Amino acid sequence: MHEVALMGDILDLIKNDAEKRNIKRVSKVELVVGELSNALPDALEMAFDIFKSRNIEMLQKDAELIIIKEEAKAKCVLCGLEYHPSQHVAVCPECNFPSGELTAGETLKVKSYQGE
Amino acid sequence: MKIILDQDALFDNNKAASFNRDIFAKSKTVVINVMSSPGAGKTTLLEKTVSALSNEFRIGVIEGDLATERDAERIRAVGAKAIQIETNGICHLDARMVSKALPEFDLDEIDLLFIENVGNLVCPSKFDLGQEHQVVILSIPEGNDKIVKYPVMFRVAELVILNKIDLLPYLDFDIEQAKKDLQGVNPKSEFIQVSSKSDEGMESWFDWIRSLFER
Ligand SMILES: Nc1nc2c(ncn2[C@@H]2O[C@H](COP(=O)(O)OP(=O)(O)O)[C@@H](O)[C@H]2O)c(=O)[nH]1
Ligand SMILES: [Mg+2]
Ligand SMILES: [Zn+2]
Repeated sequence: MHEVALMGDILDLIKNDAEKRNIKRVSKVELVVGELSNALPDALEMAFDIFKSRNIEMLQKDAELIIIKEEAKAKCVLCGLEYHPSQHVAVCPECNFPSGELTAGETLKVKSYQGE
Repeated sequence: MKIILDQDALFDNNKAASFNRDIFAKSKTVVINVMSSPGAGKTTLLEKTVSALSNEFRIGVIEGDLATERDAERIRAVGAKAIQIETNGICHLDARMVSKALPEFDLDEIDLLFIENVGNLVCPSKFDLGQEHQVVILSIPEGNDKIVKYPVMFRVAELVILNKIDLLPYLDFDIEQAKKDLQGVNPKSEFIQVSSKSDEGMESWFDWIRSLFER
């Protein structure tokens, strides 16, 4: 459950930015969470609720967390095939060789936030 | 008002990690982050490594494995400087925790620094600590499915050490399958088999460490 620590960092990032813009209250946070980012959307939701229940001044009581899921994608360096990786992430289903490189799915980022 | 931030969630961690990396580069300290599930044998492997290599390298260890002094004591007992990080139940080390421990060492006097991470195959994988090298230990009793079950962890490994091979005769573990899974998940990773108990294979691990100083 490193998602609580992650959410703490995410809210710190937002806080730093919000202070610079003189934004006092945040009503919405938008994240992009990759399938292979090792962060679980459900656990992030829970962590967000934990922080809300702590009555942080910056976070509105009814603040909303939007999670945009990013599917894992890989591309074979040999045949160029783009595929959705299975268990053996690096194995190209065409070449049957570990020649695939991840092109998406590892992202974990704060896309945007909304506030006044 | 909507603000587009578009910033990595680990931004602050990564800043601290590059701070650490600069310190390690200045002092020319080779740093290895050691990760595994609980009980795979991190501390035992490090004990054996310190005993075997302390005449070649000046070794330090940062212990992040649970908030007890036990692991650090085991390392001190074999003659390395060891600092315990109090993780207070947290599931991974982050770069800031490591930064705070660094002043305890005189890094100019340390050639090789191990960071024993918290025993966990999920949480530590994405937290860069500023280390140059990452090693993941898998042990025979954990079974064959770990590599495909925790691909994110095994993908960050530069080397996977299969530990407890002395238990092979008693347990159902298919080494060829493990190699194949690692190939499929992380073809760049190296693979070494050892027993920290019988010392079988340990020389190849020591050679791997020595090779880091020749790069
Ligand atoms: N049979 C066997 N036991 C081992 C080996 N390496 C470690 N152990 C045992 O596994 C247990 C956990 O080891 P420890 O080093 O504390 O694991 P850590 O939690 O990863 O630091 C201890 O009882 C060790 O004695 C090995 O190669 N073979
Ligand atoms: Mg340990
Ligand atoms: Zn291909």
